Amino acid sequence: MKKKNTKLIIGIVIIIAAVVYLITSSTLSQSQYFLTVEELQSNQAEYVGKNVRMSGAVLGDTIEYDPQTLELTFQVAQIPGDHRVIEQMGGMSVVLAQAAHDPTLPKMTVHYVGPRPDLLKDEAQAIITGSLDENGIFQASELLLKCPSKYQSELPEQSK
Amino acid sequence: MFFAGLIPSYLALLAFLVAIVLTVLAIWRKQSELPKLVSLLAKSAFILQTIGVISLIVMLILEDYTNYYVASVVNPAMPGILKVTALWGGQAGSLFFWSWLVSLIVFIALSSKRKLIDAWSFLILAANVGFFLGLSLFGDNPFVRIWALSDGSLVSSLFAPEVGAVVHKLGIGMGLNPLLRHPGMIIHPPMLYLGYALFFVPFAVGISTLIQKRNDDQLIHDTRPWVVLGWVFLTGGIVLGSWWSYDVLGWGGYWAWDPVETASLLPWLTATALLHSFLLERKRGIFKRFNFVLVLLTYLLVIFSIFVTRSGLVNSVHAFSESTISIPLLVFMCFWLLTSIVLLVWRWKALGGEFEISSPISREAFFLYTNIILLALTTVCLWGLIFPLINGAVTGNQVVLDRGYYDRTTTPLFLLLVFLLAICPLIGWNAVQLKKIGKKLWIPLGLSVLTVVILFLSGLRIAMALAGIFLVALGLFTLLTLTIRDGIAVGFSKFWAFLWRQRNRYGAWLVHAGILLIALGIVGMETLSTNIQGTMLPHEKMPLMGYEIEFNSISETFTNPEYMTAEADTTLYKDGKEIARLYPAQHIYPERNQFISIPAVDSNLGRDVYLLLVGYNVDVPYITLRMSVNPLINFMWLGGIFLVLGGLCVATTSSHVREDEELVQEEPLEV
Repeated sequence: MKKKNTKLIIGIVIIIAAVVYLITSSTLSQSQYFLTVEELQSNQAEYVGKNVRMSGAVLGDTIEYDPQTLELTFQVAQIPGDHRVIEQMGGMSVVLAQAAHDPTLPKMTVHYVGPRPDLLKDEAQAIITGSLDENGIFQASELLLKCPSKYQSELPEQSK
Repeated sequence: MFFAGLIPSYLALLAFLVAIVLTVLAIWRKQSELPKLVSLLAKSAFILQTIGVISLIVMLILEDYTNYYVASVVNPAMPGILKVTALWGGQAGSLFFWSWLVSLIVFIALSSKRKLIDAWSFLILAANVGFFLGLSLFGDNPFVRIWALSDGSLVSSLFAPEVGAVVHKLGIGMGLNPLLRHPGMIIHPPMLYLGYALFFVPFAVGISTLIQKRNDDQLIHDTRPWVVLGWVFLTGGIVLGSWWSYDVLGWGGYWAWDPVETASLLPWLTATALLHSFLLERKRGIFKRFNFVLVLLTYLLVIFSIFVTRSGLVNSVHAFSESTISIPLLVFMCFWLLTSIVLLVWRWKALGGEFEISSPISREAFFLYTNIILLALTTVCLWGLIFPLINGAVTGNQVVLDRGYYDRTTTPLFLLLVFLLAICPLIGWNAVQLKKIGKKLWIPLGLSVLTVVILFLSGLRIAMALAGIFLVALGLFTLLTLTIRDGIAVGFSKFWAFLWRQRNRYGAWLVHAGILLIALGIVGMETLSTNIQGTMLPHEKMPLMGYEIEFNSISETFTNPEYMTAEADTTLYKDGKEIARLYPAQHIYPERNQFISIPAVDSNLGRDVYLLLVGYNVDVPYITLRMSVNPLINFMWLGGIFLVLGGLCVATTSSHVREDEELVQEEPLEV
């Protein structure tokens, strides 16, 4: 009886070891840097060709979309990566609105092939997965868009 | 309506606080039973909260634009039912609704005939309701009004922010995000929340059992129905969410490993493990520690999931962006985590039942393997969510783990799980001789080999797909042949009655069949799905997998005050024959500068032909279309229905069926 339990325990240990291996190896091979436009541009050489994720404010006027070839290009402007900084500046919707109208901020051109996402519009937050090419253009493989939307900010501020 | 909503809500919170104080006094006096007065207080608090929720719903329906929350989620163009669902369409409302649901669960638990809730477990439940209601009222109050100040500017506040300020009514509200205007919105969030809330009761009973050093089977006896029902609602909620995101473009198909999706899977995995270990404890009197760990863990993961959704710390399409309540939530979560760990460590020795597994090939051993894999999946998913947070805190770099990570880690584990599930019914309790299993295995094995051979000969050459279908077929044929064997032995005339009496077992089999069908759907989507994109002039055709789509016309209509509808008229052909007219569309919201795609789907059990209008021009005219053929996808939704039905079968067997069950021989038909 005892022997059988030992076998079982050995089996469990092997399974646990396999899971730990699975987690560590996948974490090492699959993790991506999540960068701001500024971080990406200041270390351009380091990131060229590497799979990274970037967040920025969409500039509505720069959106160009060709429905024939499904080629989509647009620019995003720098927004801070740190949540606390964003909160201090008055929340994500304020940060996005400011970023979309501040010509002094660093900008990055994004290129994507595929259907135009429903939420791609001015002042949306774009979270873009892909890599930087030699020309400094971000070749996106995946777009995720979030809209705190200016409609929220048309509502009055909360007083404390 | 403002006072009708606000005052009862504050009174409810007050009632809970008084109830907590009274309960503490009762415990102080070594009284383990819950005082009648406390129970009455908690029930009245629930009634008061209900009045608060109804008031908010009335405000939403009547479009009371003096209310900040109403103005942010409702507008006149929205149909009535969506105005009601707007209750959970934004952070403030959904938090308020959630605290009401938790209170509802406490109300039901207090009203149940069995004396389920003693002083300690009530204390824990009341602390939970109090916390969430307090968080709602003081962190993000849904009754905040809009005020005009004397200088003409607008601010939002519960009460007048300065002397002379007047309540201001906005002309129009913003309305719900168009992506949320979908039938899924009506049931997916409440179902998921209800599933979450049901796990609070087992947790409270578990903690109370540990604190009072009880060592009986009370936990399983009393809380099993809650766990089963919680599982049913959580499962239904997750599957519905998956169907919703399949039906709305931009949410990445049926499953995208979005952090919020992943977080909702965590308590599901541990609850599934819990159901298995409950069964073992009932049948064999082992796994007691496992039960306690899983009961506590499931609750903690529910709180974690709420934290992920509401803290704003995680990037996700689902997440609310505000983060004012993240710190209290984090503190709350850590408090229960520490409490759980301390109690478990303290009682660990006393909880040890005989841990005895007779053979590595026995059903109890298989249950153990299943639970290990479920916990491994939980670990993998939890790591995927917290690694970026930990890494960010330590190194300052923001790093993310996305699909690639989850695909790599979970695929082998899920495959293993499906394999265990497929052969488990063949394996009896205690030690089993392999020869005996082989005897029962050859019919299902033969049938599934036959299936794969037929598919191969008819042209399917994708190895992963064939392997996946083989596993699923093996599992389904095993369940089917075993059921038919039972049917032959019992006699088919008495079979239905037998099935119903044994619904604990057949319900579980139905759930297993559902999982296998979902696996079949995933195999279809991941290995066989194909798509094509193209721009077409009128009467041009685009081919894919034996289908052809023809573009007839495109029109714009303005029937809805809020959006313009662009609708393409297309014809679907199969082998040259017309089989359907399909109308993929876009709703364009000019005010919002946003559009949403409304896919058109030709659906049958074998496959979906899924059309998406990607772009168009009415003057030329042309359309850009994305066409996908998604084989087997509908088995996923069918499997979801099986899960819920099977779960309900199991839920209707209360613990008094236990004696019944002992009468049944495990293998009625040993031939």
